[in-house]
Amino acid sequence: METRRTFCAALTALAAGAWLPGCRDKAAPGPGGGAGRLRIAVIPKGTTHEFWKSVHAGAVKASRELDVDIVWKGPLKEDDLKSQIDLVQSFTAQRVSGIVLAPLNDKALVASVNGATRAQIPVVVFDSGLSGGEVVSFVATDNRAAGRLAGGRMVKLLEGKGRIVVLRYQEGSASTREREDGFLEAVKKGGLQVVSDNQYGGATTQTAFAASESVLLARGADKGEIDGVFCPNESTTFGMLLALEKAKLAGKLRFIGFDASDKLVAAVRSGDIDSLVLQDPFKMGHLAVKTLVDKLRGQAVEARIDTGASLADKGNLDAPEIAALLKPDLAPWLGK
Amino acid sequence: MKAWLARPWFGPLVALVVVYLLFVWLSPDTFARSVNLSTMARQTVVVAIAAVGMTYVIIHGGIDLSVGSAVALTTVVIARVLERGSGPLVAVLAGVAVASLAGAINGLLVARLRITPFIVTLGTMGALRGAAKGLADEQKVDADPSGLDQLMSALSPSSPWLLPAGVWIALAVAGLAALALGYTVFGRHVVAIGSNVRTAELCGVPVARVTILVYALAGALAGLAGVMEFSTLTVGDPTDSIGLELAVIAAVVIGGGSLAGGQGSIAGAMVGAVLMTVIRTGCTHVGVPNWVQEILTGAIIVAAVGLERLRRRR
Repeated sequence: METRRTFCAALTALAAGAWLPGCRDKAAPGPGGGAGRLRIAVIPKGTTHEFWKSVHAGAVKASRELDVDIVWKGPLKEDDLKSQIDLVQSFTAQRVSGIVLAPLNDKALVASVNGATRAQIPVVVFDSGLSGGEVVSFVATDNRAAGRLAGGRMVKLLEGKGRIVVLRYQEGSASTREREDGFLEAVKKGGLQVVSDNQYGGATTQTAFAASESVLLARGADKGEIDGVFCPNESTTFGMLLALEKAKLAGKLRFIGFDASDKLVAAVRSGDIDSLVLQDPFKMGHLAVKTLVDKLRGQAVEARIDTGASLADKGNLDAPEIAALLKPDLAPWLGK
Repeated sequence: MKAWLARPWFGPLVALVVVYLLFVWLSPDTFARSVNLSTMARQTVVVAIAAVGMTYVIIHGGIDLSVGSAVALTTVVIARVLERGSGPLVAVLAGVAVASLAGAINGLLVARLRITPFIVTLGTMGALRGAAKGLADEQKVDADPSGLDQLMSALSPSSPWLLPAGVWIALAVAGLAALALGYTVFGRHVVAIGSNVRTAELCGVPVARVTILVYALAGALAGLAGVMEFSTLTVGDPTDSIGLELAVIAAVVIGGGSLAGGQGSIAGAMVGAVLMTVIRTGCTHVGVPNWVQEILTGAIIVAAVGLERLRRRR
């Protein structure tokens, strides 16, 4: 009877293992695929969101152009800090040629990143920064410049005169803070008056909606005392849009948001939102892998690489370069 | 040899060796390296420590779904205490104390109100998660780890300790718990209650007291697992370890634990915990996409439960 139990256990393990070889061929060429071929781990914050699919497509494009292998592996649970730390450690133990990482937290990933660097595995960070940590390069949207871009558009929309509300995202979020500061810098320079910039939308659309309603009411939006609104990310933009719609103010004041979703794009089309600042995740994935490969091949690389931002509005939604950001064609890269 | 074969952890151990060799074969250049072994040991610590407590709970005939939330709450408590400028020892004690208290409450509700453990801990799973988020103001709490990060950091290659302190602590905890389960009155009581609670009661086992103690112990070990989690994260994260309880239960079940109570082994649970790390790390090394990895892990858990059924049928 004991032998039977043992046999069963062994059988289970074998049955489970039988999956692997087939999957491996499809997923990535094995480590033995060609001597000296670079193998690069790309670790996003998650794998299911549209944003990360674009990053993935960009990384695949770079890997084809530069003739390297990439292993695309996000945390098993979306946005799970512990699994991301585990992944960086596993890839370090595995001695991949290099790691491209979008850290979920600016402090918690520092130790693992330094561990990789100590093991002579260079790390390129993209999307969000690290506080400290030895990295080759940081590839991301220059958020301050993106904020200034939005601010410049607001000045133009209001012709240099008007009262502005900024709904901030969240305390301690570095990327959105830079967007807010860049925006404020530009609108102040352009002669606009900022009547509120100390309200925070918080993490979710729900909290952003509540904060939007309060600030609109407090600043007399219904009496026409606000001329323009800026929100620094998707959730605050959507929360503000809902609040404006509920107060029947949508379209009556100038509204610039950040990032895109189907609902936000529809609002741009209907005129409820004047402009959206768009980032370029495809370029982010592409440049992050390319920068790492350049470094591995002994070329000098920049410590900070801006992947740029663009403004979408009613007039250019269907222009090819904007449409490519809103609905990127990922099929050639991801094969779906 | 016969005696070895009869051990409850023997089957899982064979499975572990087979799966390990399989990944060594698939990824020969990287998987068998010693640095990979120590990395896997580190990544098993949290599940392993929590699985020690869960083994007690499952042998006792219960279940504890609140483990993941307790771990997250502990990381937040530690970060908050460190933030106030207290030393690392105070922070660790506070974290473990809070988790033990939560465990004791689970035990009290199960023993005194006679609510099924599944329901009680389903409730505390939500409540503790909420408490963690509230205490953390719904964001990650940054604090200087004050040396606690060293518990789980990779050692320099010249260190005589081979593995980080966290791994040794986990091994010591598992060893002590296995001894306590086999050779103390408390351990015998836990097995007796899990085998047949009425008989145990008739034989004079203090069922309520043992129940409260078992859940408090599971809470304390979840707290210790939380200390290790904080050491890895270096921040207090209220959204951490969602679903950890399922990995912990899986480790115990793979290791021969029976959800009907009365059966299970600490050594088996440790093997189960290592097996799950080997699968996860192996999939990373081989480059298996996440969705395949999830199916694979699920299949192995079901297979393990299937084995348990086969064994019980005889």
